[in-house]
Amino acid sequence: MLRFLATRLARALITIVMVVTFAFVVLRLSGDPALLIMSVDAPPEAIAAFRASWGLDDPLWQQYLKYFTAILHGDLGRSMRDGRDAIALVAERIPATLALTLPALAIKLSIGIPSGIYAALHRNSLTDRVVMGLAVLGFTVPSFVLGLLLVLVFAVQLGWLPSGGQDSWRHAILPVITLGAGGAAVLARFTRSAMLEVLGQPYIRTASAKGVPWRAVVRNHALPNAAIPTVTIIGFMVGSLIAGAVVVESVFSWPGVGRLLVVAVANRDLAVVQCILLLVAGTMVASNLVVDLLYGALDPRLRQARAGGAA
Amino acid sequence: MTTLTRRATLLGVAALTLPHPGLAQADQRPSITIAVQKVVNSNTLEMAREQSNVGTRVYGSYAEMLIDTDWIGDLSLRPALATAWRRIDDRTVELDLREGVRFHNGDVMTAEDVVFSFGPERLWGAGQQAQGTLFANSATGSTGKAPPPEVPAVARRTYPGFDRIEIVRAGVIRFVNRTPDVTLEGRIARNVGMIGSRRAFAEADSWLAWARKPVGTGPYRVVEFRPDRDLTLEAFDEYWGGRPPLRRIRFVEVPEPASRVNGLLSGEYDFACDVNPDQIADIEKNPRFEVVGSTITNHRVTVFDKHHPQLRDARIRRAFTHAIDRQMIVDALWAGRTAVPKGLQWDYYGEMFQADWSVPAYDPAEARRLLREAGYKGDPVPYRLLNNYYTGQVATAQILVEMWRQVGLNVQIEMKENWGQIFDRNAPRAVRDWSNSAAFNDPVSSISAGFGPQGQSQQVGEYENEEFNRLSNELETSTDRPRRRVVFRRMLEIAEREDPVYTVLHQTATFTAKRKDIRWKAAQSFLMDFRRENWGS
Repeated sequence: MLRFLATRLARALITIVMVVTFAFVVLRLSGDPALLIMSVDAPPEAIAAFRASWGLDDPLWQQYLKYFTAILHGDLGRSMRDGRDAIALVAERIPATLALTLPALAIKLSIGIPSGIYAALHRNSLTDRVVMGLAVLGFTVPSFVLGLLLVLVFAVQLGWLPSGGQDSWRHAILPVITLGAGGAAVLARFTRSAMLEVLGQPYIRTASAKGVPWRAVVRNHALPNAAIPTVTIIGFMVGSLIAGAVVVESVFSWPGVGRLLVVAVANRDLAVVQCILLLVAGTMVASNLVVDLLYGALDPRLRQARAGGAA
Repeated sequence: MTTLTRRATLLGVAALTLPHPGLAQADQRPSITIAVQKVVNSNTLEMAREQSNVGTRVYGSYAEMLIDTDWIGDLSLRPALATAWRRIDDRTVELDLREGVRFHNGDVMTAEDVVFSFGPERLWGAGQQAQGTLFANSATGSTGKAPPPEVPAVARRTYPGFDRIEIVRAGVIRFVNRTPDVTLEGRIARNVGMIGSRRAFAEADSWLAWARKPVGTGPYRVVEFRPDRDLTLEAFDEYWGGRPPLRRIRFVEVPEPASRVNGLLSGEYDFACDVNPDQIADIEKNPRFEVVGSTITNHRVTVFDKHHPQLRDARIRRAFTHAIDRQMIVDALWAGRTAVPKGLQWDYYGEMFQADWSVPAYDPAEARRLLREAGYKGDPVPYRLLNNYYTGQVATAQILVEMWRQVGLNVQIEMKENWGQIFDRNAPRAVRDWSNSAAFNDPVSSISAGFGPQGQSQQVGEYENEEFNRLSNELETSTDRPRRRVVFRRMLEIAEREDPVYTVLHQTATFTAKRKDIRWKAAQSFLMDFRRENWGS
């Protein structure tokens, strides 16, 4: 088990280093923060002073080396827009994002999984087709389109809910629904497929033939076996809690990490972008690690295989 | 130690229970919410740092200069914190300070505050050299009191010959330049010269803390600024210009244009800024809303890199300028709500305005002739473009490319993500978009600032012309007004006709959607004026 964890952590570290390096190179080669932050209409002397003050005139490898050394010392740098500490800047946005993504995750789980199971258990029925039709609609309509549609109906036409901002809990309703709808649709599709595959297995038929009540067959044999692919998807969803609402936050003017990322990338505010990427990579890696551990808990065969491999 | 006596307690209770005039007369003034694309670019409200169009929108509510510009009227200079001014000589302007002006912290404005506002603490720094490294700048103003290094650079550009502010006597100061400058009054009117409270700056923890909540003299004071989110201003009832008409103004960042309009239509916002021309008809279908706006002191231009192999011959650049039907662009993309100006100049230049000048005529036959003479063989000319950084930019570019194709020019659009890529010298660059503003009422603020030796175009290596540069220097330093007019004329001839560095497309306009029942006029600037004179009148 320890060896398994060590291998996973080593891989995670390599992933994070690659993410940071790739982002650094791409961002530095694709735009000049001085022109973006100071504005193209600023005097050339001001732009030059800005570049000099942030070391943007240094060779790229030197900039990277200094940055990487700073990271190793736990210093993720400062925002080039106003000199604020990048970690503090990102940290103060996390609660706003979680205020959207956690309720949205709850919607995804509470709607996606039951409807997937129900559709699988009523395969080819009218209900199955309706549920799957809605699911296809849910994950094919882009979130910005769904968001704007919801705003048009519930804010502009009916006047029931605000169209954007973060002033009260009512402001969160439309973005949470927008985020939740797509994820619930994906989960419903995956859960249905996984359930259908499991329901076709010989051990399900055997259990039924032995006279085990159908509810018990589903609860004790089908659901646990169908859980593995679903858990994988949930793992991705949990991993994207921090930066999974980029588009929705922009459409609804929600001041979370996603919007900060958009603004930081647009301005090539490197320290802030890198800080968010590190956070996202870390969350994703941790989430995948938990999913790997859950696999073992859900499926004894995997647990035994790991134990055998480690022996 | 304070002792609470029975008598004091009874008095306190009585005071709380008796009718209170302040509570009885609750502030009946309206509060408004304005949806903007961005509040500021730099996350500061200090105009010496925030050199952007979006920042221009908000500063006028909380800060003021000694001399103001009549942005809603004729763009003339008018008294603000100075009631009058006069020339002492070519280097000196004397100004009478308005009496009884109070800062938002209650202090009365003095000549010392003016000295501070143009002094090293706020603008020039202590001459420190920038020594930061990527991600770890030590001179950002976030911890110390020194302004970040780009602030002195902005100050040097705004006041290139600045020497000192001299206090003549209480209430009278002199703005003294090292060199003669006929444009001093216009430069003093620039928003970099906002007057701030010396005491408030001294009490701020850092330059950044000051820049996030500057204490000025405007009709509204900064209550809260949440970067990338919103800015809340509150009426400053001791404003020298009278009680402000609004109790509270909130600028909210709504990056998506469609979301801004949706929020307006649903009643959450009272104003939605930066409305696209193609949204105007839809908004005005609703009888409760209207779109106001007008041309501003900014022209959209197309800039040439004369070093591109196809553009070295000025005749080819001239062909570009004659192939454009500017009025058609104005009619098709702007619904006629803007205009084709008389080259890179504005009426408010006054005696410097060249009324008989015009942009190159739309003359496809002349364009073809010039291309033929220059021996142009149809080689591709790259046109670097941002995705609608300017209103209707991509559509305008597509029309331009087609117009150029009509006369035989093979122009190819290259979409770019940002200005760094637009200016990149590592690949062939030839044509790009820009807009050019007149920050004050003299051509040095536009043609020299944009295209002169220190202007962006020459700084990035797109252009140089010996005669033009010599004239630009003369325009900046000469005090011979008739001669300056001749110089400006010749500069226009070179830059727009003989050896084109740019061609003007149209005047820029900005549109704001608002509730129809609000009587408010848009300025000829990005600035939004919420003073008493411009509300409900």
